[in-house]
Amino acid sequence: MSISTRVAGFIGRRYHGMITFLVLVGIWAALSHLKVVPAELLPAPDTVLKTFIQNVASGLLGKSLWASLIRITQGFLIGCSLGFLLGALMGVSLTAERLFAPLINALRQVPIIGWIPLIIVWCGIADMSKITFIGIGAFFPMVVNTFEGVRSVPHGYLEVARVFEFGKWKLLSKIVVPGALPSIVTGIRLSLGTSWMLVVWSEINTRSALGIGDMLDSAREGGRMDLVIVCIIVIGVVAFLINELLGLLETQLQGWKKVSR
Amino acid sequence: MEKLGTLKVKNLNKGFRSGKEDVKVLNDINLTVQPGEFISIVGQSGCGKTTFLRLVVGLESNYEGEILLDGKRLNGPDLKRGVVFQDHRLLPWLTVEKNVGLGLKNGRNGEARQTVQEHIELVGLKGFEQHYPHQLSGGMSQRAAIARALVNRPEILMLDEPLGALDALTRMYMHQELERIWKQEGITMIMVTHDVDEAIFLSDRIVIMSSRPGTIKKIIPVKLARPRDRAGVDFLRIKEEVLEEFHLHTETPFSYTI
Amino acid sequence: MKLQTIKIKLLGLIVPVLLLAVWDYVTRHEIFPAQLLPPPGMLFDTWLDMQTSGELALNMRISLLRVAAGFALGATLGFLVGTAMGTWTVVDQYLGPLFNTIRQVPIVGWLPFLIVWLGIGEVFKIAFISLGALIPMALKTYEGIRGVSPSYLEVARVFEFNRFKQLTRIILPSALPSLLIGLRLSLSEAWMLVVAAELVAASVGIGNTMTVARRLFQTDVVLVSVIVIAITGYFGNKLLALLESQLLSGRRPSSAH
Repeated sequence: MSISTRVAGFIGRRYHGMITFLVLVGIWAALSHLKVVPAELLPAPDTVLKTFIQNVASGLLGKSLWASLIRITQGFLIGCSLGFLLGALMGVSLTAERLFAPLINALRQVPIIGWIPLIIVWCGIADMSKITFIGIGAFFPMVVNTFEGVRSVPHGYLEVARVFEFGKWKLLSKIVVPGALPSIVTGIRLSLGTSWMLVVWSEINTRSALGIGDMLDSAREGGRMDLVIVCIIVIGVVAFLINELLGLLETQLQGWKKVSR
Repeated sequence: MEKLGTLKVKNLNKGFRSGKEDVKVLNDINLTVQPGEFISIVGQSGCGKTTFLRLVVGLESNYEGEILLDGKRLNGPDLKRGVVFQDHRLLPWLTVEKNVGLGLKNGRNGEARQTVQEHIELVGLKGFEQHYPHQLSGGMSQRAAIARALVNRPEILMLDEPLGALDALTRMYMHQELERIWKQEGITMIMVTHDVDEAIFLSDRIVIMSSRPGTIKKIIPVKLARPRDRAGVDFLRIKEEVLEEFHLHTETPFSYTI
Repeated sequence: MKLQTIKIKLLGLIVPVLLLAVWDYVTRHEIFPAQLLPPPGMLFDTWLDMQTSGELALNMRISLLRVAAGFALGATLGFLVGTAMGTWTVVDQYLGPLFNTIRQVPIVGWLPFLIVWLGIGEVFKIAFISLGALIPMALKTYEGIRGVSPSYLEVARVFEFNRFKQLTRIILPSALPSLLIGLRLSLSEAWMLVVAAELVAASVGIGNTMTVARRLFQTDVVLVSVIVIAITGYFGNKLLALLESQLLSGRRPSSAH
């Protein structure tokens, strides 16, 4: 297939969406150029584009984005791995489940953001608090999904392991983990998505350092709606990538699984 | 000295607790299976035949009585007793080759690989080594499951309604395959089924179980030459005998021609 | 059987009780300053104070009202949007990509944008919460409607159901589990966003209570608020779960969580 056919096919399948998009951009441009909506509220699309290019060129956008991504990493890795370990433990051990489930379920009831004031009191407003609270945000989806993944491994496969005299290690590595893997990836995806949201939020609120959320809020304070829109788009793109890429991985893993919906 | 693969079941009793009641599932089962025999256990659903099989495999415990393999009491599952489940239970994330080799201790070395390959060919799945279970038909999956169970050279192979999930035509083909495999490997096979034709085609003896509680009603020897003719007089006579135990009859009575 | 259940419940209490004991010990021996970690006993007193002064009731009422308004608005709109996209392919084709694009942005990202447009008053908060509540509901409604088994729709055709009958007898009942999950997600999103909005831009509400307390280092008030939020969230969830079991009784159990 030639490139042009490929592109045509790609567009052809999505032209409805593109039409909507173009229409919306058109309305947007009209509203702003005709000054129906003041420029402080809604800058013109071309202004936004210009600002975007400016910030990419100056490297500010790149640097802010990078700072946010670094910040997310520490919290995410800690929260995700702890969540995985606890979820796996609770999954394989009924005792562990009975010990921890009530507490975990109780703590889950607090919306992540509700923990913020407490964490700020305990950890200040420097990076430590951000990492802690991103960690908490990453922890809960991971525990729940890992637990469910381990539990969802069909009992029949566990019996196969018994019949073949599998030791604990072989049972885990050959049966439990592969069986739970799709759920685990879902957990990672939700975990990462939540972490991203929290990093943006924490940057909007405790603006002490470089970051995309910080850039967003500074732009708002400075009345730079064009920059605000640019930041929102960037934030959305990162969230999109997280969901798409990990979602793709999930689908691949489900490929061999019987679709048991 | 008993030949390897002798199963002796003595006074086996098993009950379950269901709510407030004690339900007796198996009542005083006595059975001896000789090495190399092919036994079918026939009964209606719920008569306890699967429970019996699971007890012999070691997946259930808490029973009264004795189950001895070569004179030794059972203690949980082990590699001397293999099992083929009704739902093949191949791991969906492994290839046929990896699935068949699942039970081998040293799956990586050359000898193991060779054994796996031999067994894949034994069940007629040559060429499908790298396929995944979801790419196989029901019959092929079950054949892979049989290969997996045999690769460790167990003394006894238990089969729990192995062909129940297959369509009637595939089932008949699989009967021939099972017989071939059994002849070639020479291991003891105990099959649980509710398909009378299947039992008669394959078994040396048919154990008829009645239900609630499960007891052995009758054991019918099948001394016909193999391969057996499903429409043959003797076959049908035995079928009549079996069905009578369930208060059923064959549809058309056979007739003599002189 | 009863003994077994009691044993399980006791097991579940071990960890919290242990934590409570450690907490008590730590505060008693002043390992952390009382400002940072108030003793458990103090929390009870604080809660009592907040109750009697009416402070807790007042703030919770306002927060709950906001949640209710935002949830009602958002879930309803979400339901309508989801139904439109699920029922008419045209709508799905044109609006679908737009919807999917908008929902990529975490709601909190919209905060600065909305503040510029709507200020920081009630309108802003309700709008913010509704937006958050809308998206999961729309998504689940869409999934529910699209997920109706074609086999059932064929039954409808064979029996010559008209559009309305199709909708009420087959589509909506079939989509019901998804719709209920959507409501749950919607509510928990709304609850989270109310706290978020109040942390930033409010003068009353439980979120505000927490922010003020935080600034004054009244950790006990903050902790009490967190607990109250948790309990409220728990009951909200339980209520919806009850609704779910009532409406879905008799069906095969779904994996609703």
